[in-house]
Amino acid sequence: MTSDDVHSLVGAYVLDAVDDDERASFEQHVAGCASCRAELAELRETAGRMADSTWSIPPPRLRAEVMGAIRRTRQLPPADGGRPASEVVSLRPAARLRRWPVAAAAALILSAGTGAGVWAVQEHRLEEQSRIAAAAAQREARVQAILSASDVVMKSGAVRGGGTVTVASSASHSAAVVLMGAVTPPAKDRAFQLWAVHDTTMTDAGVLAAGAGSAVQIVEGLPGSDALGVTLEPAGGSAEPSLPPVAEISLT
Amino acid sequence: MTEHGAARRPDHLSAVPAPPADVGDLLRAVARGDEQAFTRLYDLVAPRVYGLIRRVLRDPAQAEEVAQEVLVEVWRTAARFDAAKGSATSWVFTIAHRRAVDRVRSEQASADRTMKAGAAAMDTPYDEVADEVSGRLERQQVRHCLDDLTELQREAVTLAYYKGHSYREVADLLGAPLPTVKTRMRDGLIRLRDCLGVEVPA
Repeated sequence: MTSDDVHSLVGAYVLDAVDDDERASFEQHVAGCASCRAELAELRETAGRMADSTWSIPPPRLRAEVMGAIRRTRQLPPADGGRPASEVVSLRPAARLRRWPVAAAAALILSAGTGAGVWAVQEHRLEEQSRIAAAAAQREARVQAILSASDVVMKSGAVRGGGTVTVASSASHSAAVVLMGAVTPPAKDRAFQLWAVHDTTMTDAGVLAAGAGSAVQIVEGLPGSDALGVTLEPAGGSAEPSLPPVAEISLT
Repeated sequence: MTEHGAARRPDHLSAVPAPPADVGDLLRAVARGDEQAFTRLYDLVAPRVYGLIRRVLRDPAQAEEVAQEVLVEVWRTAARFDAAKGSATSWVFTIAHRRAVDRVRSEQASADRTMKAGAAAMDTPYDEVADEVSGRLERQQVRHCLDDLTELQREAVTLAYYKGHSYREVADLLGAPLPTVKTRMRDGLIRLRDCLGVEVPA
């Protein structure tokens, strides 16, 4: 491949549309070409912006799984061998030694327990999962029905602290789907609570799970209200809204 | 519901979430092993990381698995992020996109997909709704700018980025010569760059 051929791959390279050989030739080419690096940086930034339109709420458990995984994952030091990450690494051996007896004990318990008891727990869990799945499917059908209603009206507004709350309401279903997407979730002992606003009164319209910053909630009877309010409350919700709300979306 | 809201009110007010921090600053703190900074980084980028991977893989269960790999990789390699080569956000999405494409191309993918089909059913409410809503809002600048490309540019760029096709596959799909597809990917991205006003500090 000539240098021009290689360089013309910059778009395909940034889009990860090249094979391994082409990727290697391109990276070699860029290493010796300053102007290519500038173009590469800009086009890579542009490709990254294409991710903006793919926003999708991950299942809430992903957060806990990732946080659990990073606690078991050693960080790489900077490429130049600088200090910050190596300090973290140097703490690990001692901590690992201390944990070993606990891990060994846990392993013993696990190996002793791989009999009927474990199987029963697993079966029970499967049954529970299918019940949850059935309830989720029912809820999803309702959500889809509201969203695909011919009279659905979409409104959205900003959440204090970052993020968006979107309300899709359908008068014919007399219900709305609220999509909460706060950048900063509430603390573990707090929850977002939804309120139907009529004139100056605010009626409880459901509480999200404690600590959840994003959720999809069906609110029955919301159409006809003036607005949807969102407040930050203790876990489980409050009888009266704590003002000012973190978000308020006008529905009129 | 109990009557405990009023008494605790001053408490709630002090719990107002802090304004979102800059992804680059958070990433530098993460490189020093700061788990709290990682939590905030997660909240800022996870919906886009997950959304991008899900768009490419089209399977919520696999997308969740790859998103987890990517986010842990961000934690693991945070110290290798070099601000001179681009923004922190684009660094994160480069890792995410590459991993998603690798997964699409691995032969293992179809087998996994069947295995995970059961688990996927439980996740659909969040995912489907989020897609449906963002699809209906159509207000993103990216979509507007993509509309500005020629049809061939747009097809070439989106088939590669959102569907994980190689440029050879794109050429096949569009019935266009290979050099043309390479060129359209490049000039399509350049046009998109200008429309989005992307700038990289020199």
